[in-house]
Amino acid sequence: MERRSFLTQLVLTGGALSLGVGCGREIQPGTQKIAADPESPVLGDKKMILEPARQIPVLAETDVLVIGGGPAGAAAAIAASRAGAETYLVERYNHLGGLWTGGLVLPLLSTHAIDRQKKARQVIFGIGGEMSQRLKDLGMSISEVNPVIDPEAGKYVLDEMIRESGVKMLYHTFGSQVIMEGNTLRGVFIESKSGRMAVLAKVVIDCTGDGDIFHWAGEPYDVMKYHIGLVHRLGNIDRIDTGKTGYVKMDVGSPTPLPGVNWVNMHGQDDQDGVDMLNLSRLQMEYRREIWENVQKIRKTPGHEQVFLLDTASQLGVRMSRMVEAEYKLTLEDTMTYRSFDDVIGISGAWTSMLYKGKRVSSQERPLWQIPYRSLLPKKTENLLVAGRCFCFERELAEDTRIIGTCLITGHGAGAAAGLAVKEKQSVRDLDIAKLKQLLLQQKAWLG
Amino acid sequence: MARLRDSLIAVLKKIGWRGLSTLVAIVFSSTLLIPSLTGLYTWLSPFLMLNSVLALKSLVWLNGVGCVILIISFFRKRWFCRYLCPTGLGCDLLSATAWKRGISVQKIPKIGRWLALISLGSALMGFPLLIWLDPMSIFNGFFAVFSDNISIPTLLSLSGLPLLLMLHWFFPNLWCTKLCPLGGLQDELYELKNIPSILKPGRQNNSKTQAEGRRLFLASGIGILSGVILPGWVKTAPAKWLRPPGSVPYGLFNLLCTRCGSCIKACPSQILIHHKGNEDILAWMTPEISFENQGYCQANCNLCSRVCPGGAITLFTTEAKPQLSIGLAEIRNPEDCLLARHTECDRCIAACPYHAIEISPSPVTGLLRPVVNETRCTGCGACAAICPPVIIHIKNTASPGKKAVSTNS
Repeated sequence: MERRSFLTQLVLTGGALSLGVGCGREIQPGTQKIAADPESPVLGDKKMILEPARQIPVLAETDVLVIGGGPAGAAAAIAASRAGAETYLVERYNHLGGLWTGGLVLPLLSTHAIDRQKKARQVIFGIGGEMSQRLKDLGMSISEVNPVIDPEAGKYVLDEMIRESGVKMLYHTFGSQVIMEGNTLRGVFIESKSGRMAVLAKVVIDCTGDGDIFHWAGEPYDVMKYHIGLVHRLGNIDRIDTGKTGYVKMDVGSPTPLPGVNWVNMHGQDDQDGVDMLNLSRLQMEYRREIWENVQKIRKTPGHEQVFLLDTASQLGVRMSRMVEAEYKLTLEDTMTYRSFDDVIGISGAWTSMLYKGKRVSSQERPLWQIPYRSLLPKKTENLLVAGRCFCFERELAEDTRIIGTCLITGHGAGAAAGLAVKEKQSVRDLDIAKLKQLLLQQKAWLG
Repeated sequence: MARLRDSLIAVLKKIGWRGLSTLVAIVFSSTLLIPSLTGLYTWLSPFLMLNSVLALKSLVWLNGVGCVILIISFFRKRWFCRYLCPTGLGCDLLSATAWKRGISVQKIPKIGRWLALISLGSALMGFPLLIWLDPMSIFNGFFAVFSDNISIPTLLSLSGLPLLLMLHWFFPNLWCTKLCPLGGLQDELYELKNIPSILKPGRQNNSKTQAEGRRLFLASGIGILSGVILPGWVKTAPAKWLRPPGSVPYGLFNLLCTRCGSCIKACPSQILIHHKGNEDILAWMTPEISFENQGYCQANCNLCSRVCPGGAITLFTTEAKPQLSIGLAEIRNPEDCLLARHTECDRCIAACPYHAIEISPSPVTGLLRPVVNETRCTGCGACAAICPPVIIHIKNTASPGKKAVSTNS
């Protein structure tokens, strides 16, 4: 009896003790931290000097001023001009189409997506659709879905459309500073061989891709560091001799509409600052050497002797940089759930896989998605619209919002809105959305 | 107003406390549909709670739910069985409509008490043997199989609750009064009041308290002994398959897991399935991570650990997730990577919540491909799910849960 009660006591005490030991089993995070990125070298601690005040000639007082002539800027200028507004378009290089043409990012992604009936359908219409159709008519685009175009044909078609719509084109000109009155944007200073000038406008559309205009206007924004590449083209692909002894299959990129010419994409270095001029300069030189050496390697491979480097792109492929904080931030959920907006200005498609609610959604399953006008409308600055890859969306969406097709859609929407605002003597913020949608439909846009 | 009150009282009198509690039990059962609360019933069980706490020698805040029921058991005999246990309610219903009124179970000894004490004894040695007999686990296990494919283990899970109910149709009250370890534990707790008189030497004891003391001694003794002997027999080698983040080591998991299937039911990505491999039957019905349905373990989710009543999946915060390993991402056919063909893609890098993937050229072929940082990768499978050419797979690391245990200290 004594022993038994002792043992029983022992068991009970053991149990009670074990209850008390080590409360709080829950796993908490440790102290693992990812090192912060170093400061941008351009914005570092630099000596400053004062620029003297001076008189600047006003080149023009116009209705609409579009800064940047990429897919978004070209579409915006054409739309605004067609809507009846006097429109100036400022482009820093010697061609329109930006990364699509000069940047040699030739595929027009993403022209298609899945509709509510679960069928793939075309979504890019309006001015972007017109560009695509003209290129097709010229025989300068291949494939129906996500067509790959010829860059020179692209430049030509955009020039023609700009000419036809009566847009006043300013090539070799850089939009360098904003002209503000409080929170109201009155125009933009431009730099060129002719010196510094001002263009005053009732509405300015920021199609710089990097959001230079809203950056100077003091608008809040997010910065996304992403991989930056440099695309190049190879010639004589049709003269590769696969029968030659010692032939090894080399990677020579993807076909373009030109016979024997391929374009070669570059992933490039990750996590790069796209608005840091010193960084861009470094990347440019590293990439050019990398491409040159790679092409020499290809040429030394048996069967590839005739392949040559046709050209490298006129600009680095900056995929993402600044993204404006607008009246509405488009979310991943919006694009996955057929979210419809009252102020829809266009519908875009999808070209790659995404993760949504813990599951893979492949490119073939991705729904089409609407873009609301509010996501182009900055929160603070008056008379400003944003189109192209720097409009307002969640980072997760960047793969679909930064591409040519979406830029054409947002450009068209912003251009039509600016043209209408001028015509109706309204501010872009208080624009009559019903009239905007009516105008977009007249301009052959598809709003679902 | 007064009439309304009177009629309400009349209705209450008519249904009685039992009817009201049935309603409460039904309301509680509906929590099965809510992922974060799907484990509620299992957390209520003091049997599961004691087994888990004794085996792991530690508490988590959710154990408090079971503690409340435990404390009530001291003062109200089988209060939980009477008012809350959904299995018990079903069993009672079938007992009432039994096949032949009267296959009596009176003479069958109360095995449940023994089972409860044996399990707690072995739990004390770190090997809770009979945790899977808990009626709450059996109840939840039935509902968990509907989110999984059919296999022998899922059929086993599925048959538990119907079997118990059928048993009562033939032998009224057999499980509840005689076999259930949760019921047995409550009986033991209620009678613990008598313990002081057993322990007082020289005092006259009646046969009831003697029997009580004998059972306490013998049953927990058997439990402790088996807890000492059995570990040698149980397979403890790490699994070749994947288990949820925060899982305890392999062998212990098989014992601590109550097979309630709550984690499988709660997983928002539906990547948890009932394990059905043939190598180790002891691991049957425990959760396994399968990436086959193109899901992945979400960085902001800790549901499986929040619903686990046995502590087999240690409760963790979402902030701790970067340190909890499931497996390791592995690039199977780097030559098929879109980047190797200069095709635009960054999906794996963008998908990885832990910044564990970098793009770099292969030193051999010079082709670009993703490279996995093994110290950062948790094997969550986001990259594998998103990869357009599907070349990333999650492989098992040498000892799953190793990271989890090391962060414990």
